[in-house]
Amino acid sequence: MTNDQPVIQLINIHKSYGDTPVLQGINLSVTAGQVVGYIGPNGAGKSTTLKILIGMLPDYTGEATVLGLDVRTHALDIKRRIGYVPENAALYDTLTPLEYLNFVGQLYDLDRSHIERKALDLLRIFQLADHANARMTTFSKGMRQKVLLISGLLHNPDVIFLDEPLSGLDANAVVLVKEIIRQLANSGKTIFYSSHIMDVVEKISDRIIIIAQGQIIADGTFAELQQQRPESLEQLFAQLTGSDGQTTVAEEFIQALNQ
Amino acid sequence: MTNLILAILDRLQFLFRAMGADYRQLRAIVQVKLMMDNRRSIISLGRSGKQSAEKTNSFTRILGIYVFVGGLISLGMLTRSARELMFFPLTLQFSYIMSLCAMTLISDYSAVILDSSDNQIILPRPVSSRTLWLARIVHITSYLFAIALSLSAVGVLVIGYRFGALAGLFFLALSLLSAVLMVFMTNVFYLILMRFISEEKLREIINYVQIVMAVLFYGGYQLLPRLMDSETMLTEALSHQWWHFAIPPMWMAGAVELVVMPVVDQTHLIYLLLALLMPVGGLWFMNRFLTLDFTQKLSSIDQESRPNQSEQPVGQTESSLVDRLSDWITTTPLERAAFSFTWRITGRDRKFKLKTYPQLGFGLAYVVVMSIQGQRLGNSGFFYLFALYFAGIYVMVAQYQLSISDNYRASWVYGSAPIQKPGDVLSGSLKALIIKLLTPFYILLASYILFRYGTNKAPDVVLAFFNSLIMLISAALLSTRHLPFSVAPDVVKRSNTARGLLIGIILGAVGFSHYGLRLIPYGVPGAIPIAMVLFWFLFRQYRRTGWPQIEME
Repeated sequence: MTNDQPVIQLINIHKSYGDTPVLQGINLSVTAGQVVGYIGPNGAGKSTTLKILIGMLPDYTGEATVLGLDVRTHALDIKRRIGYVPENAALYDTLTPLEYLNFVGQLYDLDRSHIERKALDLLRIFQLADHANARMTTFSKGMRQKVLLISGLLHNPDVIFLDEPLSGLDANAVVLVKEIIRQLANSGKTIFYSSHIMDVVEKISDRIIIIAQGQIIADGTFAELQQQRPESLEQLFAQLTGSDGQTTVAEEFIQALNQ
Repeated sequence: MTNLILAILDRLQFLFRAMGADYRQLRAIVQVKLMMDNRRSIISLGRSGKQSAEKTNSFTRILGIYVFVGGLISLGMLTRSARELMFFPLTLQFSYIMSLCAMTLISDYSAVILDSSDNQIILPRPVSSRTLWLARIVHITSYLFAIALSLSAVGVLVIGYRFGALAGLFFLALSLLSAVLMVFMTNVFYLILMRFISEEKLREIINYVQIVMAVLFYGGYQLLPRLMDSETMLTEALSHQWWHFAIPPMWMAGAVELVVMPVVDQTHLIYLLLALLMPVGGLWFMNRFLTLDFTQKLSSIDQESRPNQSEQPVGQTESSLVDRLSDWITTTPLERAAFSFTWRITGRDRKFKLKTYPQLGFGLAYVVVMSIQGQRLGNSGFFYLFALYFAGIYVMVAQYQLSISDNYRASWVYGSAPIQKPGDVLSGSLKALIIKLLTPFYILLASYILFRYGTNKAPDVVLAFFNSLIMLISAALLSTRHLPFSVAPDVVKRSNTARGLLIGIILGAVGFSHYGLRLIPYGVPGAIPIAMVLFWFLFRQYRRTGWPQIEME
């Protein structure tokens, strides 16, 4: 694949659940080696966009391609080369991390002994070596998140979709994962992730896309966005998504409590 | 068992490859699913209503019971009849196998085949629609095969001994095909359902369909053979009617008869053809036409779980009814809160409904069937008493379910709120159960009893009602007290057996004293006030439950 060809491309994507429109004309194109932060308020359509990109929601209108392949017709080929880490720690928690990773590896047709070695290494790096053979029912949210991250990256994908990748991780793990994301991007992989934590997005993204009510309302590097309004990303986000003046809302909240 | 299943699958992998599945992925999915089944309790594999099994041992135990029950049927039916009269006994045997498979499928179909809980885990991986669908079919079929095998085990031996090994093996093969046929029929049934019902409503409606089907199947299975004149069926050769070709167990029976006799005529060839073609052809048909958009269907089921902004506010009439009721019935605000909380959740929690309502349905169906069937038993002087108390057991299942919820983690709220008298929560929740489930159930039961045995049984019905209340409250007092919906689904079972035994003893004691009272003039009407007072007293005890007596997770 040549470098100038977009790795992810969405053209005029519309999607609705029943009568409720969720995405209303998303257009974007991402080239290889970028870290894209995709942010927006709750219910703006972040997870829906991700699900369309990984081929889980085929009933959209518009055109979506990943790695130059149409999502609708080549879902399986795309899935083989992308990694996805869902947001709500969805894994089979009655299994042990090793069993789970083995299972996931087999779905990608990886060699068994190869997966096992790799999984053990990765677990050790995430300081889960002692828990490799313990059932995940007892795991904390951070530990599950680590297993989930490994399961999304195990097959060394070219494009990585992350939905709130840092949730539940402790401070050290956050630093580690941020650094991993950076180095993955440096080695030419594309990372597309959504998050609510603004200062993380601010620091690790090459490019920030803000959506609200199913439409992209800002797109650019942090510096570019700052040129429009020289504030922190948090304030910028609040302004753009129309939730400016949270102080007054907070006052209202306190008043309602005191009634 | 897992290894055995996987070994069998490995032998058959050419089959799955031919059907267009990725065998390694299929094997991995089936393996993981079976592994997880072994570790968590199996929700209602086996009979939908019965206490859910825990771990494989109890699935093995269920299988043991099936071997026993199936064996009894086989010994009773298949050993007596002469060679040329095997058709009807075989039909019964196959309908038993099919009924149990269908029951299992109905209660587990949506849980296994339409499971969307692992959408996030499997759908993002490169797994094709067909592979995932086949993996799920294999998963559930492995259980069905185990059920079918254990039900027909003795039958195979009997047939094999009487008519030769070939006939035995053929019988075995057809038992397994019966299971496959049931998979096909349930699949088609659900797909038709999905066609006519919007996808948002699907899950909710599947739940009601499951309840109705469970009751119908159970009632139908109990009733049908008894309505038919079974004595003549067993002693006279059956003249084959055209409509017999519409009854699946008869295909299987006809096909076995063909080998047993052996007879080759047009009728039996049609049976054989149907018996072999329908399951295999059904499987091919499903694989060919129904799997194409399977993953798409799965992800669309998941969509309804998205918060819907345009959702209308909850119906005002319903909530005001609950509020008015709770005004009348409860005394403290806490009790009132627990009352309406329980009322609403019991009406909305799918799992609670699926575990409770079919039980109540079974209770009614059982009483009706028993009273119609054995003429001697049904007409004896004490059967209606037996029925009244027997049905009480089913209500206790609901009380037992009341503490269980998938959302048990939300019970932190009991801990963090400044609740001084947790007894109020218990009593409010029990009151809701009594008013919402027990009373309507008893009214139905009482109407049937009064209709069939005469209105002069009214005092007995009233006394039995209060006695059932007493039993309910005693059961609640005797078992570990949990706050409503605060226990994870598989924890409660531990103390189950001892509790069941105690309840049984109390039930017997109360029932017998009631029977004794009938011999004393005015004994029954006189006992009613005493029962009421006793109930009131016990209820007050229950309400005084303090924190030390309550077990929290």
